[in-house]
Amino acid sequence: MGSIWVYAGVTAEGPDPSALELLTKARSIGGDVAAVALGPGATAAADQLGAHGAATVYASDDTVFVDQPGRPAAHTLHALVQQHTPSLILFAGTYDARDVAGRLQAMTGSTLMANATDVLDATHGRTEIFGGTKIVDVELSGPEPRLVLVRPHSFAPEPAGGSSTVVPVVPVVGDGATTATVVERHSEVASGPKLEEASVVIAGGRGLGGPEPFAMLDELAAALGNAAVGASRAAVDAGWVPYSYQIGQTGKTVKPEVYISAGVSGALQHVVGMKGAKRIVAINKDADAPILKIADLGVVGDLFQIVPALTEEVRKRANS
Amino acid sequence: MIAAARSTPRTGDVGTRARRELTQVLGQRKLFQRALPGTMHAFIFWGFLVLFPTIVEAMLAIVNPDWTLPFIGDAPWFIFMVEVFATLVAVGVAIAFYIRKVQRPDRFRGSHMAEADKILLTILTIVATLLLWNATQIALGDFAHPNAAPISNALSNLFGTGQPTEALERVFVWAHVLIVLGFLTYLPKSKHLHIITAAPNVFFAKNGPGGHLTPERIDLEGPEEDMRFGVATAKDLSKKQLLDLYSCTECGRCQEVCPAWNTGKPLSPKLLIMNLRDHVAGIDPAAMAAGTIELQPLVPNAVTDEVVWDCVTCGACVQECPVDIEHVDTIVDLRRNLVMAESRFPTEAGTMLRGIEGPSENPWGQPAAARTEWIGDIPVRVLQPGEQAPEYLFWVGCAGAFDDRAKKTTQSVARLLNAAGIEWAVLGSRERCTGDPARRMGHEYLFQGLAEQNVATFAEAGVRKVVATCAHCFNTLANEYPDYGAKLEVVHHTELLTHLLANKRLVTTSGASGTVTYHDACYLGRHNGNFDAPRDVLGATGLNATEMERARERSFCCGAGGARMWMEEGGDARINDTRFAEAAGTGADTLAVACPYCFVMLDDAAKAAGSDMRVADVATLLAESISGPAGT
Repeated sequence: MGSIWVYAGVTAEGPDPSALELLTKARSIGGDVAAVALGPGATAAADQLGAHGAATVYASDDTVFVDQPGRPAAHTLHALVQQHTPSLILFAGTYDARDVAGRLQAMTGSTLMANATDVLDATHGRTEIFGGTKIVDVELSGPEPRLVLVRPHSFAPEPAGGSSTVVPVVPVVGDGATTATVVERHSEVASGPKLEEASVVIAGGRGLGGPEPFAMLDELAAALGNAAVGASRAAVDAGWVPYSYQIGQTGKTVKPEVYISAGVSGALQHVVGMKGAKRIVAINKDADAPILKIADLGVVGDLFQIVPALTEEVRKRANS
Repeated sequence: MIAAARSTPRTGDVGTRARRELTQVLGQRKLFQRALPGTMHAFIFWGFLVLFPTIVEAMLAIVNPDWTLPFIGDAPWFIFMVEVFATLVAVGVAIAFYIRKVQRPDRFRGSHMAEADKILLTILTIVATLLLWNATQIALGDFAHPNAAPISNALSNLFGTGQPTEALERVFVWAHVLIVLGFLTYLPKSKHLHIITAAPNVFFAKNGPGGHLTPERIDLEGPEEDMRFGVATAKDLSKKQLLDLYSCTECGRCQEVCPAWNTGKPLSPKLLIMNLRDHVAGIDPAAMAAGTIELQPLVPNAVTDEVVWDCVTCGACVQECPVDIEHVDTIVDLRRNLVMAESRFPTEAGTMLRGIEGPSENPWGQPAAARTEWIGDIPVRVLQPGEQAPEYLFWVGCAGAFDDRAKKTTQSVARLLNAAGIEWAVLGSRERCTGDPARRMGHEYLFQGLAEQNVATFAEAGVRKVVATCAHCFNTLANEYPDYGAKLEVVHHTELLTHLLANKRLVTTSGASGTVTYHDACYLGRHNGNFDAPRDVLGATGLNATEMERARERSFCCGAGGARMWMEEGGDARINDTRFAEAAGTGADTLAVACPYCFVMLDDAAKAAGSDMRVADVATLLAESISGPAGT
């Protein structure tokens, strides 16, 4: 059996966690393990890749790998494959790695298995079908190297304490009729924590009556810290806030330490998305609102008075 | 192409199929669902049935001017019929042009308009040459009974008796025959092919309730080549599905009634069929059979993903279609492939699928133990394992057990059953989703598992009669579970309540006041033909009933069917808001529903509109007009 390779995603900040997960797995299958790291940060990542099981790291820090998505990495990998003939190459199921794996498959004609949840040995992968209700083992046949795209977080990374030999790689850009080039990079600056990760979630519903009162919820979130604002479907359907705010059956599922609702009636559609909260605080003017039945603390009253007063009190206590 | 396609069982109960040929093809039943276009089409269709022998006559006359058909050729009654029907065809063409050029209904958007004009003009020239041919014969004194042919006789005054008329007689008869033959050669490539395909398409249409989907058995242990996951490429389409494509005349009746299209979504049932047809027409059948070409997936190459997911499976398109195209079944087959083979569907619906798959086995993922929380202090028998079911099993359904609004319906029905002295019980936490949302999503495998488990529960408890409040549960239990071995008599609660009212086991005591309008649930009404029971129950309440413009067979969906309940909605408007506006437009103060999906959708729309119109189930309205223990 030839060696097992891991196509390791790297950035200037270090190797992707997925690379370390895959190396841990590759190590457990046995045989020689190597990593291929292409792009700025590759050489610097070699120590960590080695510690997780890569005896050899084929590395290039060339910027062509970030300037042109997919093709240079696939051609370089192909050249390495022809030279060293590995048996199996593991890829993380990321956008970049999927692109590279698909291109490599077209060049080598080998078997490519996507969406694997486990790699059993050099010739068997495992995946789930029917929305995870059935688990199937898949035999990988065809010419080597077999290519497997593995779902992220399928394995826990564990360092083994080894070290690696770095083999510098000359990029092969490849040619073709068209070349895709990265023209612009844009990073989204998120204000505050993500809805699913915030420890406090404040949800607004139909009772807010319009888009403007959401500013009131934003203020409360800012005062609390590590808090995010969400909404019920009614508020999203009314167009007051974007769909990304929606909590519920057809929106996001949140499990914060504290969930605070303002003007949310608590229809089943919404409750499904927040019932996992540790503490539920509900403000509603209707004493019969279903949300008050599941709330740990229910406040029957006018949210336009209660929410600002709450914000004021939170600020006061934070300052004292 | 069709000969090589997959067969589906569509030949049983020939009697029903033959009757459909009589009413729907000869009788033009579905065309007459619209008066003017129906008249237009019937004139042309019946006209050509009568005129068919004259085409043969003309062909004979070309060979020898003295030849004609025996018995009818020179019979005055037949000559008169030809005159009348030829004229009716011309009137039909005139109506068609009036509809297309003056009325210009939106249903033609996306259809081939110029092609239709050409076809209509060809039809007109066929009858015109016939009448002119007869007129020249009359002028020449070669016509058996000129008085039986008033129009041709009048036209004959245009012609003399000499040589030019003799030449014209030949010109008209040749023109008549050549246009007919030319038309026949043009047919296979045209949307007018329906004159050949419509009758067989109607014959092979689905018998029985429209809500019944053909099962696709998935046996994971069976041979791999037997496994099919819906329709991926053209070769997966069944014979009927292909025939559907070649039967479409692009009339757009389906498009005009489609809730998705009417609220600004990309789906039009007509465009779906046309796009599939154009895709299939581009495939060489021989190469497909030989496997020498790589077939492209129908989604997204023929129709987009969005189109496939926009459908509410309400069946309005199928109801309208004069040639019985089954759009919904094809859409579900496309979904089956996307879901089961590709795991490709609107992500937000995943919560529902996981909920149904999960230990709690309901779309909202609520704990199974909470299925009895609606009971409160109502005397209800919860059937325990090992016990035999009483006369009726009340199938509460997931919405009826978990949704606060639907729970009110459940409670009303429970009180009414008690008041009527019915022996009944519920399954409690042993109930699980019927699988309807999964099936409509295309997840046939998940549905199959639930169906088998529920059927086993029914068998173990000796269940014979089931009453359900959810139109979707009702349809699945009544029409689809028999495919999985269920032997049940399933009634919708409105049917049972009508029965109990008729038998005086329920008597209304306090006449309610106010006006009510009833919204037909697709899976109760259009798909199962139950239009009257909910109206009869409302009639007993004392409320004044008023109808929406789109009612009964023509009802407009609430927007929740086809698992759309579990998906986010795009487009210009929301289907539930659109329907609610129509209900509010009647001026009624109550909107009555008979299905929890409709209840949730329309009540949400009422709240969004800030309306004080009340939305309530028929059963709750009945319970309120009965004093004593049934009242709420």
